[in-house]
Amino acid sequence: MRIGIDIGGTHTDGVLVDGSRLIAAAKAPTHHDNLLESINQVVQAVLVDQDPVRVRTVNLSTTLTTNAIITGKTEPVGMLVAAGPGIAPKHYRIGDHYHIIYGSLDHLGTETLALDEQDLEEAIAACREQGVTCFGVASKFSPRNPAHENRMVEALAGTADFISCGHLVSGQLNFGRRIHTLYYNSAVWRTFRAFTAALTASLKGFRLEAEVNILKADGGTMPLARAQEMPVQSIFSGPAASVMGILATCPADQDLLMLDIGGTTSDIALFAGGEPLLEREGIAIQERPTLVRAIHVESIGIGGDSLIQITDGQITTGPQRLGPCMAAGGPAPSLMDALNVAGMAAFGDVDRSRQGLAALAADNQMAPEQLAQQAIEAALDALTTKIDALIRTVNTKPVYTIHEILTDRAIAPARLIAIGGPAAVFRDLLADRLGMEVMVPPLHGVTNAIGAALTRTTSHLALTADTARGRLSVPMLGIFRPVARGFSLQDATAEARKLLAADLAETGVTMAADEIQITQADAFNMVDGGYTSGKNIRVVAQVRPAVIARLDDTTTTVRIAGSP
Amino acid sequence: MLKATTSLGVIFFPAFDWAISPTHPEREERLLYTQDQFREEGLFDIEGISEHRPLFATDQDIMRAHFCFPSVEAICTESHRISAGGAIQAARLVLEGETRRAFALVRPPGHHAMKVVHGNRGFCNINIEAVMIEWIRERYGRKRIAIVDTDCHHGDGTQDVYWHDPDVLFISLHQDGRTLYPGSGFPYENGGPRALGKTINLPLPPRTSDEGYLYAIEQVVLPILADFKPDLVINSAGQDNHYSDPITNMQFSAQGYARLNELLKPDIAVLEGGYSIKGALPYVNLGICLAMAGCEYSGVREPDYNSAALRESPETMETIRQTCGYVLDTYFHPPMGDFEKEGDSFIRERKIYYDTDGILEKQREELKDCDQCRGLRLIKTSSSHLLPCLGVELPIDCCPACEREGYEAFARSGKEFLVSQLLDQKNKQFRYLPKK
Repeated sequence: MRIGIDIGGTHTDGVLVDGSRLIAAAKAPTHHDNLLESINQVVQAVLVDQDPVRVRTVNLSTTLTTNAIITGKTEPVGMLVAAGPGIAPKHYRIGDHYHIIYGSLDHLGTETLALDEQDLEEAIAACREQGVTCFGVASKFSPRNPAHENRMVEALAGTADFISCGHLVSGQLNFGRRIHTLYYNSAVWRTFRAFTAALTASLKGFRLEAEVNILKADGGTMPLARAQEMPVQSIFSGPAASVMGILATCPADQDLLMLDIGGTTSDIALFAGGEPLLEREGIAIQERPTLVRAIHVESIGIGGDSLIQITDGQITTGPQRLGPCMAAGGPAPSLMDALNVAGMAAFGDVDRSRQGLAALAADNQMAPEQLAQQAIEAALDALTTKIDALIRTVNTKPVYTIHEILTDRAIAPARLIAIGGPAAVFRDLLADRLGMEVMVPPLHGVTNAIGAALTRTTSHLALTADTARGRLSVPMLGIFRPVARGFSLQDATAEARKLLAADLAETGVTMAADEIQITQADAFNMVDGGYTSGKNIRVVAQVRPAVIARLDDTTTTVRIAGSP
Repeated sequence: MLKATTSLGVIFFPAFDWAISPTHPEREERLLYTQDQFREEGLFDIEGISEHRPLFATDQDIMRAHFCFPSVEAICTESHRISAGGAIQAARLVLEGETRRAFALVRPPGHHAMKVVHGNRGFCNINIEAVMIEWIRERYGRKRIAIVDTDCHHGDGTQDVYWHDPDVLFISLHQDGRTLYPGSGFPYENGGPRALGKTINLPLPPRTSDEGYLYAIEQVVLPILADFKPDLVINSAGQDNHYSDPITNMQFSAQGYARLNELLKPDIAVLEGGYSIKGALPYVNLGICLAMAGCEYSGVREPDYNSAALRESPETMETIRQTCGYVLDTYFHPPMGDFEKEGDSFIRERKIYYDTDGILEKQREELKDCDQCRGLRLIKTSSSHLLPCLGVELPIDCCPACEREGYEAFARSGKEFLVSQLLDQKNKQFRYLPKK
């Protein structure tokens, strides 16, 4: 059995799943200053009459790191950054302890300027003086050669409680994103560690002996031990949980769209052949791009509470929200009120909706029904435009080979799955407008927790080999070792699979070899002075986000746990 | 975080699965390290710099610019269509206002491909700038366009395509043709009788470095552009003037290339040659992108850059100054060339060698000396591999008499020629005889 917990902005949801059966579901208010309390309440509720020892897995999606960053409850981070030529490192300045260390590597990983020991010493002394104990170390091109980062880590011995080290975060090249990722990772490390310690203790209290995994923004999980090293990966896991919830509750094996309609905004995600599309490089945190892998989710300012306005005869819906809709006691007419007036919904106090729209319509010499209709159209226009743009962007993403240009399959979703409060109301409207089948699955009240429960571990690694120089590197695993001249692309893909499987096994996850996908496998003939000198090989292997089972069509009463 | 002051669309298409041959300079590896540099520098995370995929050039797109014999398919593989499609995407971005500027960082290159194409010359099959320009003129009407070719080799293909077109100003800066392929591009090459002064050649001595190159830009190119007042400036952006390039002898740097773009402010740049794939391209391409986007680029330099060691000698600078003075004058006062005439047509007879494919072409061009329009052009061409073929070109301002004569020549060409191709810019008719 598996427990899935999703800590949301308002509610914390929990489910207990056995195979493909939903056994129990519970909801409790989220206590932002005591998340553990909310977790305990839902765990207790779903375990009623169950044997906790049978629970093998607890998967948790938490807003802990997201909230810590948004509310500024992070700790200072000493950033040690070695860059050299190119775009100046000052452009990535982040936090109050950002130190630039002289020294550089080139794109092949060759040292072109030695790391300046005096700069390093001064930077560390300055951090020590200001009581900084969490660090991030980054050098440009460190995935090609970790020497400068390793030296900085070494120099921090005795000063640091925790160090995030660039090449271990991702094998992907992107210096700015590397810096931002390291910063946020170290900034939330202590908070996250305290939370997981308390969580572990608390779950023991329930006699749970399950392995505990933390949900990531890419829709997969990571074992708790990994999460303690890379807490930043737990950020923005909420939307990912909801995407995985769709996968766990709906037939989703073709191209399809997901629309999660909320009060203020709606989230749109796209599935290609049933797989959620990921961000190309990583998600942005506070508008800073990072290397945190994430499901690509587009937000649009259209929701049930979107404000209806008339400016110069032009009717607009959203993106502003002044409060709940009038039907729920809000101050101004919103999209939900328009749906009430148009007879498409009967939510809350329909009379208040009528009064609100009638007043606004009268000011503009129109009938309330006409206003309602046009406000709904405006919202649908905005949604359609956003969906079309998303599909176009995905279908025109850059590619680098002739083969891809000629064979790339265009993604063409024929179905949309709508979830969230007002989803049912929008079903026919969206079907008409988009010319797609629109499904509103049941269970949407705890979809996120189901997604959390049923998703599996994801992981990836990048391997590069340069047979001319005889070097193989897998930066994320800290592997930089010699390789034979005859090392081939086939050898490289086999090695990447093996290393990824071994790394997962180390954290207790067994993954069948065919579950590991090779997403890039290129070998370039390298030529020096007119002769072939070797091969430049690049391989990326991943375990993609997927659910381990699809839920049966059974429904379960959701228990309300804790105080309302 | 950096922001672009001028938005820039980059069509980055390294064609990682295409090479002329495994060890040819034009091989899969060519833009690999440029991509590494772009990724590590986070170029596409800069607000205002976006990455795009190429479009795909159709037969019609190519037939607007070229006479391909025996057929478009025989000349063009998918790689050439995609490379040209990359240039077209750049044009689309700029002309539709999606980005202010665009850089087609694509391969294979194109500037050695001439009007008539029998095969590959100097790594080029079709002229991707020309295909792009004709695409622009097809959709956006007649425009004044300036092409500044900063590849180290003379852009003899582009020069040939626009030799007779006064709407297109072609300026090539290159290493002196007496010392480098293709051995042309001398100041007296000034354009055909109807477009005199619209072809400008500025040969630079070997070992020209930043100071000399930028002197030529400031003293010759910019004044000519100021006078010509083009609607669009296109840079054929070869990167082989770099001091580390293995097949040329110049001493230009990444800083120099960036400054060049800052001065030139091209609307569209299209990659041409440049084969120092590790030591130059990653830095030069980064410098060009940053300069085109109006971003600060002072930190972009090669690890072994040493401006003092690269500086040109006083003698070299003196040669450059003299050439510049002379070349500037060829724009404002082009000397009347001794154009050969037979009857009422200007005649050019040439032999053209396709070095990559080992083809020798024999060509006779007849340009009608018409006082009503630029004149009908007939190109009779055969090669070591192909029986005589005919190209019939009607200019954009074609007069009724030339139009009639051109269509008649095309219609009766079946008897004398293996294949003929019609390129009617006025009525936008582009087709082959026999029909393909």
